[in-house]
Amino acid sequence: MADAQKLTHTSAMILHAVAAGHIYGYTVMEATGLASGTVYPALRRLERDQLIRSQWERQSIADAEQRPPRKYYKLTRAGDTAVEETRRRYPLLAQLASRAEVEQQ
Amino acid sequence: MSARWWPDTILRAAALLAPPGDRGRWLAEWRSELWYIPRGGQARFCLGAFRDAVEVRRLDWRATPRLAAPLNCLTFLALLGIASFCVVAGLSGPLEKYATLWHLNPRRFPAGCGLTLAFSCVLLPVIRLATPRAPSQDPPRPWASKLRAAMFLTLKILLVQPILLCGFVLFLIVGQAAPVATQLALLALWIGVLRWVLDDQQNRCPECQRLLGGPVRIGVASRTFLEWYGGESSCSEGHGLLQTPDLSASYCRSGQWLRLGNSWHELFPAASKGRHS
Repeated sequence: MADAQKLTHTSAMILHAVAAGHIYGYTVMEATGLASGTVYPALRRLERDQLIRSQWERQSIADAEQRPPRKYYKLTRAGDTAVEETRRRYPLLAQLASRAEVEQQ
Repeated sequence: MSARWWPDTILRAAALLAPPGDRGRWLAEWRSELWYIPRGGQARFCLGAFRDAVEVRRLDWRATPRLAAPLNCLTFLALLGIASFCVVAGLSGPLEKYATLWHLNPRRFPAGCGLTLAFSCVLLPVIRLATPRAPSQDPPRPWASKLRAAMFLTLKILLVQPILLCGFVLFLIVGQAAPVATQLALLALWIGVLRWVLDDQQNRCPECQRLLGGPVRIGVASRTFLEWYGGESSCSEGHGLLQTPDLSASYCRSGQWLRLGNSWHELFPAASKGRHS
C-alpha cells in the first residue's frame, strides 16, 4: 500500500477528484483539466496502491440507458485516510477542492 | 465509413502495447470511455491510451514474479552467466595489462570460476550463520524434495560464480584508482550475491521450489502483546505457508514453514488446475 506522503501533486489531485464524486475517468479529466494520458495511468497506480477501487457498472443499467457500461472508481478506507493526509500536505489543493465543492452546491 | 474509425484505430494500435492477457479488457475500457467523449476531442483523448497501455504493461511486469518457477530462475542466472562471460571476453585487452599480477584471461574462465567457488564456499557458512534461518523443527520431508532443494541451491551457487568472477574482473580494472574502496565493494558484492542465493532459497516452497507469493500481514505490533505477528506467504501450488515473525521471540525466532494437507488445495487455483488436468 502506498504511503500518502509519497503521492505526487497530480495523484493527490486525482484522488481529491474521486473523493469529490467524479467517479469516472473522463469526469476526473474534466474536473482536473489533466490529459487522458495522465489521468488513466494515475488511476491505475492509485488502484494498485489500494487507495481507490474500480468496478464496472451493471450491464442492465447501461442497456436501459442505451450506452456502454462504464468503469467507476470509489475511494477505499486507505484512500480516505490518504485524502486527509494530502489535505495537510497540499493545503492549496485542499482549498481548491473545497471551493469547487461549494460552487457545485 | 463511420467517423469513429480513426479513434478506434488509435486505440487498436495502443492496445498492442498492453499485455496480451489484459488487452481485451483494456480495449473495452477505453472504448466505453470513448463513447462519452465529444467527437472533436476523440482523437486527442485516444492518444493518451498509448501512455496508459505502457503503464498497464509496466504494472503487469512488476506484479508478475518472473523468477517464480525454479527453471526460470536457473535460466535467468545462466543467461547472466553467459553475459558475464561475454563481458570478461570483451575485457581481454585491458586484462592483459594485469595478467602478470592475476594471470586471468577469458581462456582461464573456468579456473577463475573455480577460485570464486572456493571463496564462496568459505563465505557461505559465515553468511548462513549471520542470517536468520528457517527453523530446524520443520516436519520431515520426503528425500526426493530434499534432494530437489539441494540440487536447486547447488545449481544457483554454481551459476552465480561467473557473475562474481565478472564483478571481480571489473573491480580489478577499476581498483587501480582506489584499491581499498574497490576491495570493500567487491566483498559487498560477494556477500550481497550469496545472501540473495540464500534468501531466495528461504523464500521458496521446500516442496516444489517455487517462489512464495501473496504476502499478507497478520496482527499489528502495537495491538499485540506476547502474541505472534508478522507476514505470511503461500505457495501457489498449495504446498504450504511460510510464516515470518516481525519480532524474534524465544518461541518464534525465525520463519516457520506450515505444511498444508491436500484438503487445502481447493483454495489454490494453480494446484487444483494441475490436479484436474
